[in-house]
Amino acid sequence: MIRLQNIEKVYRTDTVETLAINGISLDIAKGEFLSIMGPSGCGKSTLLNIMGLLDEPSKGNISIDEQDISRFSDQKLAKFRNQKLGFIFQSYHLINDLRVLDNVELPLLYRNSSAKERKMLATAALEKVGLSNRLKHFPTQLSGGQRQRVAIARAIVGNPQIILADEPTGNLDSAMGNEIMDILINLNKNEGTTIVMVTHDESMAHKTHRLVRLFDGSQVQ
Amino acid sequence: MFKHLFKLIWNKRKQNFLFLSEILISFLVIFAVFSYLTYYYQNYSKPLGFDYKRVWSVSYGNRQLPKDRDSLVIFYDNLTKSLKAMPQIENVTFSSSNYPYSDSFMSTGLTQNRRKFDRVSNFMVGDDYQKVWNVPLLEGRWFLPEDAVGKDKGVIINETLKNEMFGSQKAAGKLIGDFDDKNKLKVIGVVADIKANGDFQPGNNAVFSRLDTGYLRWTGTLLIKVRPNADATFESGLYKFMATTTHSAIEIQHVDEMRDTRNRQTIIPMVIFIIIATFLIINVALGLFGVLWYNINKRKGEIGLRRAIGASGRSVSYQLVLEAMILATMSLIVGCFFAIQFPLLSVFNIPASVYIVAMLLSILFIYLLVLFCSLYPGKQAAGIHPAIALHEE
Repeated sequence: MIRLQNIEKVYRTDTVETLAINGISLDIAKGEFLSIMGPSGCGKSTLLNIMGLLDEPSKGNISIDEQDISRFSDQKLAKFRNQKLGFIFQSYHLINDLRVLDNVELPLLYRNSSAKERKMLATAALEKVGLSNRLKHFPTQLSGGQRQRVAIARAIVGNPQIILADEPTGNLDSAMGNEIMDILINLNKNEGTTIVMVTHDESMAHKTHRLVRLFDGSQVQ
Repeated sequence: MFKHLFKLIWNKRKQNFLFLSEILISFLVIFAVFSYLTYYYQNYSKPLGFDYKRVWSVSYGNRQLPKDRDSLVIFYDNLTKSLKAMPQIENVTFSSSNYPYSDSFMSTGLTQNRRKFDRVSNFMVGDDYQKVWNVPLLEGRWFLPEDAVGKDKGVIINETLKNEMFGSQKAAGKLIGDFDDKNKLKVIGVVADIKANGDFQPGNNAVFSRLDTGYLRWTGTLLIKVRPNADATFESGLYKFMATTTHSAIEIQHVDEMRDTRNRQTIIPMVIFIIIATFLIINVALGLFGVLWYNINKRKGEIGLRRAIGASGRSVSYQLVLEAMILATMSLIVGCFFAIQFPLLSVFNIPASVYIVAMLLSILFIYLLVLFCSLYPGKQAAGIHPAIALHEE
């Protein structure tokens, strides 16, 4: 599903060159739930951004769903992200000026879906995460766990094949974190969604199919 | 996308208040400037209605002139003949003091079919007035000496007044009333509108009455159409002749110079107004630019998110420009509500078409201004790296 070949990422300033990812190769199968762990600054999020096509590797190849995306234009990359990928972030990244339902509808806006269809799909996604009674709320009126569930609904509303989650339980207490983890596990099991999750939490990582450990930009496990 | 953006803007109406206010105030200022300019342009584009070149006005004192009416008539008759005999003079006429560009006004009221026409410019003129100014006669005839003994006093009206009174019908031969409709006046001719107050002023309703012997006592203005060979020496001679004949102080003015002065009285305030408005617009443009720039920096996380979920750089840029345009539209709706009151209430007695044109121009200007101010911030937003934006948030 996702194939990374000898990925390198170097951040350059005038005086300093920092190697964030050093020659990582990884194959992630369709329907796999993979977690990435490692200390802060080891390159986990950078690797996830590269998988999510939000960042470009300095070296190496990446293919998703057997498509080489290295020659994709900005327009094509955007379309690809919209249709194939769903993102969940540690800090939720909800738009506070939009209601829950409008936040969840966001990815569908870039698909030219009708308003009726958007509303139907967003409501269904919110039902899946147990928030069908919070459609008209603003994100600021919700708890952290509820916000993350909204973010999950937004990630799954477009029915993507891959979900990339960057520390989705990082801002939550353990009970909330477990709830979120259960939702992700169910998505993986029931919908067959491929999930790549960056986490600091060993117990969460052990609930996934495979654990990849990074250290100083290199894969150590 | 429109509905989505509208929701976003509506939910952020407090944050957008500054932007909305700036656009509203700019629109109202621009509307004022464009109303001003449209009004003057519309007037300027209309024909002048007379020929001011080589016309001199001679003002004199009339206290030393004969008091007896018959003697005065003979005096003026001799004076006219003497002047016309000069080879440098083409024609001569007497006039009330409100001749073109004189900065003097005289108005009256008229009635027609029980309708009142107020503030009609009233010109008291001699028989050769039309020849001196070369005013185009559209209908009927100009005054003749025989008009002095007619049953109804003859008047000549201008085209605008004729259209208001009679529409497309002929006016010559019709009777109208004076200001209180007690005395009947017979329309003997219709002339083209004359822009007597300058190139940028309208040719308002006007009526021309023949200078009768009763008015001669108060006359102090002589209009002379000179030939091209009339030079400073002739002017000096004319001055001496008039001073000797009327025993009074003389002032000779060239009407083309008076026209320049009169036009300057319109142009100078117009230029000042435009300069002030330009500075204001520059400030508003910088303000808009700043607000949009600030918004983009504040919304980096949102921009990063949109990129992540499927927006291309171009669509992010398009969204921000569109948002600015929607905000501008909201302000313009409020602005147009105020602006439309001007033609509806006929404020300042200016034609409705002036306000409508000014409104359309102002709307176009504001959209162009907002587009100009939002393009660069929009482009910058498109260049925001999603990974960095999401990380910063």
